[in-house]
Amino acid sequence: MSTKKTNDDLLERLNLSRRSFLKTTAAGGAAVVAGGLVELKTAKEANAFAYEPYPKDDELETVVTSCAHNCGSRHMLVAHKWKDVIVRLSTDDGRYQRDGHFGKDSLEEPQLRACLRGRSYRQRIYSAERLLYPMIRVGERGEGKFKRISWDEALNFVSKKMIHLKDTYGPTALLDQSYAGASYGVLHKSDQIEGLLGRFLGMFGSRTNSWSVPSYQATTFSSRMTFGTIEDGNEDDAFAHSKLMIMWGWNPAYTFHGGNTFMYMRMAKQRGCKFVLIDPQYTDSASAYDAWWIPIRPNTDAAMMAGMAHHIFTNNLQDQAFIDKFVQGMDAGTMPDWAEGKENFNDYILGTYDGEPKTPEWAENICGVAAKDIRKLASMYAETKPAALKASWAPGRNAYGEQYNRMAAALQAMTGNIGILGGCAEGVGKAWHAEAVAYPYDQYANIWFQSIKSDRWAHCVLNYPNVKREEIGLWQRQDETDGQIPNIKGIFWQGSDWLNQLTNINKDLEAIKKLELVVCMDSTITPSGLYADILLPIATHFERHDTALPWYKGHYYIHRPKVIEPMGESKTDLQVFTELAYRIGGDVFGKAYNPKASRDYFHVNDNVDEAYLREWWETKVIPHQHVDMSWDEFKQRGVYKFNLDQPHVAFRDQIENGTSFQTASGKIEIFSGQLAQITDWKKTMYGYEIPSIPKWIEPWESLNSPKIKKHPFHLISPHPRWRTHSIFNNCSWLRETYEQEITVNASDARRLGLKTGDIVEVWNDRGKCVVPVYVTERCMPGVAVLHEGAWIDLDENGVDRAGNPDMLTLDEPSPAGAFAYNTVLCDIKKTDLEHRPGWDKLATSRAHVFRRDL
Amino acid sequence: MSETKDKAKIKEAVKRVKRETYTPVKPDTQLGFVHNNVDCIGCRACEIACKDKNGLMPGPRFRRVQYIEGGTYPNVYAYKVNMSCNHCAEPACLPTCPTGAIFKRKADGIVDIDSTLCIGCRRCEAACPFGAPQFDPADNIVKKCNMCVDEIEAGRKPYCVMACMMRVLDIGQIDSIWDGELETVAVGPNDEIVRQVKNMANIELTKPSIGFVPHSKGKVK
Repeated sequence: MSTKKTNDDLLERLNLSRRSFLKTTAAGGAAVVAGGLVELKTAKEANAFAYEPYPKDDELETVVTSCAHNCGSRHMLVAHKWKDVIVRLSTDDGRYQRDGHFGKDSLEEPQLRACLRGRSYRQRIYSAERLLYPMIRVGERGEGKFKRISWDEALNFVSKKMIHLKDTYGPTALLDQSYAGASYGVLHKSDQIEGLLGRFLGMFGSRTNSWSVPSYQATTFSSRMTFGTIEDGNEDDAFAHSKLMIMWGWNPAYTFHGGNTFMYMRMAKQRGCKFVLIDPQYTDSASAYDAWWIPIRPNTDAAMMAGMAHHIFTNNLQDQAFIDKFVQGMDAGTMPDWAEGKENFNDYILGTYDGEPKTPEWAENICGVAAKDIRKLASMYAETKPAALKASWAPGRNAYGEQYNRMAAALQAMTGNIGILGGCAEGVGKAWHAEAVAYPYDQYANIWFQSIKSDRWAHCVLNYPNVKREEIGLWQRQDETDGQIPNIKGIFWQGSDWLNQLTNINKDLEAIKKLELVVCMDSTITPSGLYADILLPIATHFERHDTALPWYKGHYYIHRPKVIEPMGESKTDLQVFTELAYRIGGDVFGKAYNPKASRDYFHVNDNVDEAYLREWWETKVIPHQHVDMSWDEFKQRGVYKFNLDQPHVAFRDQIENGTSFQTASGKIEIFSGQLAQITDWKKTMYGYEIPSIPKWIEPWESLNSPKIKKHPFHLISPHPRWRTHSIFNNCSWLRETYEQEITVNASDARRLGLKTGDIVEVWNDRGKCVVPVYVTERCMPGVAVLHEGAWIDLDENGVDRAGNPDMLTLDEPSPAGAFAYNTVLCDIKKTDLEHRPGWDKLATSRAHVFRRDL
Repeated sequence: MSETKDKAKIKEAVKRVKRETYTPVKPDTQLGFVHNNVDCIGCRACEIACKDKNGLMPGPRFRRVQYIEGGTYPNVYAYKVNMSCNHCAEPACLPTCPTGAIFKRKADGIVDIDSTLCIGCRRCEAACPFGAPQFDPADNIVKKCNMCVDEIEAGRKPYCVMACMMRVLDIGQIDSIWDGELETVAVGPNDEIVRQVKNMANIELTKPSIGFVPHSKGKVK
């Protein structure tokens, strides 16, 4: 079919005849074509549009793109632009896909509708906090005083410093703290494994890597040990097929985890699925799915699960045939021959080893859930088929959080709910696999000279060289540098606001003073950026060419053209690293880092980016994934949706066809052979012992700890709905939909004399923050909830006036690397200290506190 | 916004308003919203889509997802009531307008404000029992939801409806919504539709064009 014919068909089918498509010319440069002319008449009759002038969508140019933050989903955004300005954003309405039409929203190819965060992108890209020019620090570090400099000065400064630090302190001097804030494209990536920065620093020869994932290291570890892979997830449409869904600490109404998961769950509800929520809060997910709410003390989930396992074993409710066939170490009969004398899960639960049967009554003492409810839930889960126990990430962000995830996997396995439609082995939840990398991913990618647990950098910097390898979770190396403590002297932030987001901010602030170079590459001036030496303005994903992947569920690609020209003097990450490579190592480094580019890439990047993306589509996507859409057609439509034969279910092949799991034994390892054979824990990246079967281990702080005499509240810091971590905190549209507030139970509030809206201080020995309080019956007594990601705003005494919970968190991770974000005790009282919400609250209506019917 | 108001035009409009106040426009068909109070996760994507569509700064919120919660720990409940302008059969805002800026469309019953006539006196804001008209300090006039008439005229649905990730908000011919005859995924197979929920102003005041799938605790006896 000729291109013209294809175009004409598209125009007709998509009913877009009045629109103009984004055209990428042969020169690859002109992303902008003239939009339809906008007639801006002043109305003369009483039927005018409510506010004139008002350009209608069909008078504007339409460009399909997507959101791009690190949240849990990836949805379509449709930019309606006039010249080089995005006038408004809409989302998927069924028109853009192949054979689409307005309103098409089938179960196989649902619309990819963006959430409130995605819809507010215009406020982010056009915000006052937008970083538009390279800036260099002129005051003390953290004072927030910068002056504008040229790119030339900025890049010379960075490259000279890099060379100096590497020459003086060696190959571990530069700490890679890139993260996913600018990530999830295939070309412009920021993360620790596939990121652009990792490859750049690795090639340069000085990089300390940060290996633990703040959000979900517990379940990553658990799934690797149990299933041999982190791809333990079902596709979102599989969630429509459960008869029982246990949402363990899971709040998709806030996180929007994965494509259309929440919508398919609604479908399950309409088909009669029962929902259960185990959580210290009665969340919006609980109300929307009409769930049985079981409030639980934070950090005690593994104990409740052990109680459920006890009930299932002692009533013989387990799926023994499944266990015998697929599971290692669930009971004595499924232990491997070599493991004589090692513990199995059944005997642990029954108390054979320690004389302590993990009965529901035993569990009740720890987790606060009535034994009868533990029994009832265990019976429901064992007797309903198929049933999904969705073990979410939040309860894993704890001291010994990996035990919760390992215990969940044991329950999933003993009830035979793995590998079947309507069951669930999540976990991590990663499902359908996208082709993720379009830039050169070669022998230089993810080279590191030491690798540490991500939240131990400050500990390492402050105590160097008197640091033990287990304290920082040093990853094992196969050469003579194994065990050498990294001498960190500089930090790179690429797409990361980690100073604001890691644990124990006060300690981070101490450590950052000791560094000699702090580089922040971002499109926004973040709280971290204020502590940088140099700020490099990075083009947002609206200002560079890329393709979007689903975040962890959903099966589609969304094209991301350059919707508008980069604002100010912004450049892409890839442009910056390429230019730095040329400045540091001339043509050799420059060409190796970016083989398709020439020396002028810093100024002209469109052709090269197009070449990488086209090659990726034509050599990876089309052949590997049986895609029959050309790159040009994809670019024109903006989206490609896969139509799968059946819902993707993790481990279906293992269960239906008997193929091996990816573990050493080929089975689901409730008894982990890998862990059982470790003899010197200090030499592992874990540093400390981890049992080879799931066990309840008392966390260092909880409501059961004697420490509650001093700090009686357990503070948890879940992901907010109105931000993605710290991203979007500066968007007033989102700010007026919520308050950064600490949630407490009404009985606690009465005792403390608090009512909703009162300003309180929240503190422990590590730090203090100031926030308004929200009083509700929907939260467990003794628990306080403060959402993560508020932008720190410190007063002269180091008190955070904006309410960031990481002022109070502890920077000691769990052995497996899980951040202990939710293992925090604190106290709360009414205060006269200043609270600064960070935006003009008075400017808004307050409908969100309207009619809270207490 | 025009700086000078056309005085002759205002006179003419006032006459029309008086006529219509006592005889409200009988639309050929009346469009209205339907919202599922139970299945709504309260994400407010509709609100943000509306803000973006209408180019609003912080302050006016044409669409408001109201969070209702109650009970005593641990027996609690929560649901959402999502409302913008109800495009009432007998709009309370309309007769209060001194310049005739507010009008009800004959074709579809949508109530709209002509920004070239509005002087920002805010009387309509006070009159509406649902909080639909809202003052926009940026432009010194009152604005409100007009059900995205531009989208409707283009054969599409309003931004809020098309933003709903749970597909629990929709529009349709209001009688068919109330009769349960509208084909929409906003309403589940066993859901009933009501015109009034708890804590909402008496619908006899203005006869709002809206239907709800109510929460058990939100039902009015």
